[in-house]
Amino acid sequence: MAELKLERLNKAFGDHAVVRDLTLTIPQGAFTALLGPSGCGKTTTLRILAGLEHLSHGKLWLGDRLLADEKTHLPPEVRNMGMVFQSYALWPHMTVAENVGYPLKLKKFNGAARQKQVRDALEVVELGAYADRSPQELSGGQRQRVALARCLVSEPQVVLLDEPLANLDRHLRATMEQTFREFHRRTGATFVYVTHDQAEAMALACHIAVMHKGELMQWGSPQALYQHPQSAWVARFIGKGSVLELAGHAGERHLNGGELHRGLGVATGGPRQQVLVRPEHVEVGNDGLRAQVESCIYQGERYLLALRLADGQQLTAFHHAPFHEQASVAVRLHQGWRLEAA
Amino acid sequence: MSKKVTLTAVLLATLSVPAFAKTTLTLYTSQPGEDAQMTVSAFEQAHPDIEVKWIRDGTTKLTARLQAELAAGGAAPDVLLIADSVTMESLKKQDLLAAYVSPEAKRYDAQLYDAAGYYYGTKLITTGIAYHTKAPVKPASWQDLLKPELKNMTTLPSPLYSGAAQIHMATLMNNPQLGWGYYEKLKANGAMPQSGNGAVMSAITSGNKAYGVLVDYMAIREKAKGAPIDFVFPKEGVSIVTEPVAMMKNAKNPDGAKAFIDYVLSDAGQRLVLKQGYLPADASLPVPEGFPPRDSIKLMPFDAAKALTDAEPNKKRFSDLFGNK
Amino acid sequence: MSIMTLRHATSSGPPKGLLWVLLCIVALLSLLPSLRLLVTALLDWREGGSSSLWRVLSSSSTWTALYHSFYTSGLGTLLSLILGSVFAFCLGLTNIRMKQMWVFLFMLPMMIPPQVTALSWLQLFGPGSILLNSIGLAPSFGSPNPLYSAEGIALLLGVQHAPLVFLALRTQLHCLPKEQIEAARLNGASLWRVFFDIVLPLCRTALWAGAAIAFVSALGNFGIPAMLGIPVSYFVLPIQIYQTLSSFGPSMLSDVAALSVLIGVLAIGIVSLQGVMQRRHALPLIGMAGRALDFQLGKWRLATEVLLGGVLFAILVLPLLALIATSLVPTLGVPLNAKTLTFAAWQSMFDSESATWRALTNSMVLSVSAALVLMLLSLPLAWLLVRYASRPLRWLQNAIDIPYTLPGVVLAIAIILLFSRPLPLLEVSLSGTLTIIFIAYLARFLTVCLKPVHNSMLQLDPAMEEAASLAGANFSQRLRHIVLPLLAPAAFAGALLVFLTAVNELTVSALLWSAGKETIGVVIFNLDESGNKVLASAVSVLVVALVAVVMLLLSGLGRFLPKGVIPWQN
Repeated sequence: MAELKLERLNKAFGDHAVVRDLTLTIPQGAFTALLGPSGCGKTTTLRILAGLEHLSHGKLWLGDRLLADEKTHLPPEVRNMGMVFQSYALWPHMTVAENVGYPLKLKKFNGAARQKQVRDALEVVELGAYADRSPQELSGGQRQRVALARCLVSEPQVVLLDEPLANLDRHLRATMEQTFREFHRRTGATFVYVTHDQAEAMALACHIAVMHKGELMQWGSPQALYQHPQSAWVARFIGKGSVLELAGHAGERHLNGGELHRGLGVATGGPRQQVLVRPEHVEVGNDGLRAQVESCIYQGERYLLALRLADGQQLTAFHHAPFHEQASVAVRLHQGWRLEAA
Repeated sequence: MSKKVTLTAVLLATLSVPAFAKTTLTLYTSQPGEDAQMTVSAFEQAHPDIEVKWIRDGTTKLTARLQAELAAGGAAPDVLLIADSVTMESLKKQDLLAAYVSPEAKRYDAQLYDAAGYYYGTKLITTGIAYHTKAPVKPASWQDLLKPELKNMTTLPSPLYSGAAQIHMATLMNNPQLGWGYYEKLKANGAMPQSGNGAVMSAITSGNKAYGVLVDYMAIREKAKGAPIDFVFPKEGVSIVTEPVAMMKNAKNPDGAKAFIDYVLSDAGQRLVLKQGYLPADASLPVPEGFPPRDSIKLMPFDAAKALTDAEPNKKRFSDLFGNK
Repeated sequence: MSIMTLRHATSSGPPKGLLWVLLCIVALLSLLPSLRLLVTALLDWREGGSSSLWRVLSSSSTWTALYHSFYTSGLGTLLSLILGSVFAFCLGLTNIRMKQMWVFLFMLPMMIPPQVTALSWLQLFGPGSILLNSIGLAPSFGSPNPLYSAEGIALLLGVQHAPLVFLALRTQLHCLPKEQIEAARLNGASLWRVFFDIVLPLCRTALWAGAAIAFVSALGNFGIPAMLGIPVSYFVLPIQIYQTLSSFGPSMLSDVAALSVLIGVLAIGIVSLQGVMQRRHALPLIGMAGRALDFQLGKWRLATEVLLGGVLFAILVLPLLALIATSLVPTLGVPLNAKTLTFAAWQSMFDSESATWRALTNSMVLSVSAALVLMLLSLPLAWLLVRYASRPLRWLQNAIDIPYTLPGVVLAIAIILLFSRPLPLLEVSLSGTLTIIFIAYLARFLTVCLKPVHNSMLQLDPAMEEAASLAGANFSQRLRHIVLPLLAPAAFAGALLVFLTAVNELTVSALLWSAGKETIGVVIFNLDESGNKVLASAVSVLVVALVAVVMLLLSGLGRFLPKGVIPWQN
């Protein structure tokens, strides 16, 4: 099993610790995302996987092969990994075909066999006709596809993607996401995808590692992260939910509407707990808790309401019709998820 | 990377490797460039197995360069052909010259060469007064240069550069009517020194200055080419240098040096001198176009030994008088 | 980016031994001459009252020369500022036509060697001017050539270095913040108001930078004060050094060394000060670059173009014509007409026996080999400086600038001292060989070749090499397949720039040449000094032609080069 195992990975630049004690096992063939805000260490982790950075402490395994630890470091050229960069990193002095064929050239594959492989790779990304163009003549999306084709050609075990869609406009991203999915299916390689965009991560990956300030906050499927975040930070980071403080005690993680209302009604004093309430579980209607509308933003499919409850806490909700600001509404909470103490 | 190292090594090697085909003779001369080129070419024609490398510079600067190179152990010349015999004497006293008794010597007046054969005069070059053809005053004596009508219009060569100028200065200092006071009065009358005689000449022909102290052959030669310049041998007399040739003591090519000395002293060499427009040292040859007959040229008396001891102090005095304004 | 030392390469690293050799060569070339000079000076200073430094400082001629240097350089810098800024503002902010051509022509004086500039202007003025004589406009006989004066020197220094100010300003003008200016205009400011209130203050640092560079270059300039000052005994500091050494010989070497250290420290001090001030007072320019201000000149456009053309005609074309005219007469003082026209000087120049031919070949050999070697040296050096940036390497980068900032005379003295004795192990003396001039050129012009390559390297996305690394390339393959091809155009441009500068060089070779080892610059200088202005003019015309051809070559190469490599192109 060629799974990627990160064992207590640490990376510090001078005094500044960028990755702390990261332990992770990425299953073989999985599409994994490293998700987090900028500065959380996800790109550094990716580069450590690639061999472009040294790790300070810890071990990195690919299957039973030790890629790096404090004493050893396998250089990137022997790791048999592919990487797709944010800036595409296509070599401007080579044609598209030469770019794609470069890994083969290094392996001393020449002649007709190489040309065929290059052609096939370009066909996969639907750029067969552009083989003799230079990269400067291509659009951003096309360049990214050439970079993908270059990865494909060397048949890597692991494909690393460093925010590959950040430079493309929104419209193109959807198409490219589909391209990545197909690519993953076709190659069966392990994909490690770094992004700060949660929509992207949740759309593409089957496992997500959420990182914050160098630490792993949670590792799980997109559904698990969305429905059952383990900390208040993750709860706030993923999705649009609100974290409310209620009176209550440790017990069931899932709370129903009644428990939520009861918890909110109690005045301060006694144990408190933090609960995540997603906007789709908030109903704005005729009866329930009193709340005041602070803002109402049109989103196309619905309105996003920012509400303030009587005790001053903020709550987000969806509604099909607009409200004026300062309007008074009644809300019913249907479901909540209790967060672990931070 | 190793290719780069080899390339550099090869480059360095080729730059330092001397020509193997012929023997090389290194000549330092203060002759004007075209004359030096003519002399060298004629010599190389007569001796096809010798290739001459030469530098041309003012005598004083040439000797300074010589000293520097000897101190550094670097390239040194084989043979010298410089303006004046006083510099030669000084070099001889520093034991830098080699004695060579040339078979050609017997044709010359004994005064023109060193008895032991350290150096031989090759021509007679006098220093007189040159002036632009449009100049308002036609000077006839050295004192004329001090006239107020000539204020700021005179130039002269510097002994810091030219050997002939050095000898000229020593000669004038010797003359009781002229002496150091003459130079001070020249400066007061606005005279400005150029580097060498060539610069003096072009200052006059270009009209920047009207009058100048200049060597004879330059003015007479350029006049023949159509330049607007005239020359006069002043009443009081002229100074003279003999442009001697000598071999260096540690010459790498002593045979070549001897051949060169013999050549310039030979009949062919002297006829070349005549063709170039100089007064040949060989008295049996005629004078060039534009020159008066030999015996009509009046020479001012010259004390060679005094000139030698006064050389450095004179240079310093001149530099202080005419130095930075 | 991480701070890496040579020990911690992530990908397969460069062969460490060779890299250390490279760094050693570069460090030696850049630092050794200056250190040797410094050592001589320090040893000398220890003698206190009897030291050469004291002797030199207490001699009034030193102070006079210093005053002369400051006066001519100061005046010249003022002129450079005026000329350079007028051209920069006209060409950067208005809608004048044919800008590329104006820029190219304006940059030409900077590339023409100073002694040629001096010679050409000399031929233009004075009663002996062939050109003026032939058209009957010569001043009256006996009037001195006005250029033989302090003001004449300042004038030519100003013209020679105006392009330096021009370049500094131009770069700044290209970076003017479009949005700030548009905001001002939306608020109702007229174009002139915008110019005075926004553009000029923003260009302040560029003006200071340009002035500093022009001043330092003027201080170290040799050719112009040599040709214009020596005939009237007006000496500036570099000339004082040159005269002392060449007239009084090696006994004066210690005096001259002491003086050289002074000028060297002065030059480096000014440049460093300017660098510090630039960093401290640089105003952040946020926003998009692009043509921010566009004065529409309307009916003034033609008049401005005529003015610019007139200035260029006066400072470039006229002197060149005078030079050509002088090269065609048999001797000075003869007017040029159909009867007197002769190509004798040109023929003697190309005669393979002549000294000028020898000098031409010497200069070619020296310049081409220096260009090639420096090109090969700069490529791995630039890569190293960017990929392994660290404080010691930044110091090295600054050190590389030193031999170029030092006045040429100072570098020559340093090299003379360095090689004054035969090399220790090889027992071979380099004094007076072409090799010593070659080494001096390598030290002096390394920065000229390195800058474009370094700039190009800075713009190289590191991801390019990382992608190659992941594709399986080791260090040597990465360098050969990716880095070198992408740096090649800049390296070639650097080599051409070195060739151009080296071929015209006078200052260093004036003190280092010997029999058979003259360079073109030295030949022009010697010919002029010995009075053969006709041949000097002929060689100078050849040099100008060479410069123009190489500059055109570089311009043609411009398409393939990243921005900023060729100074006079966008």
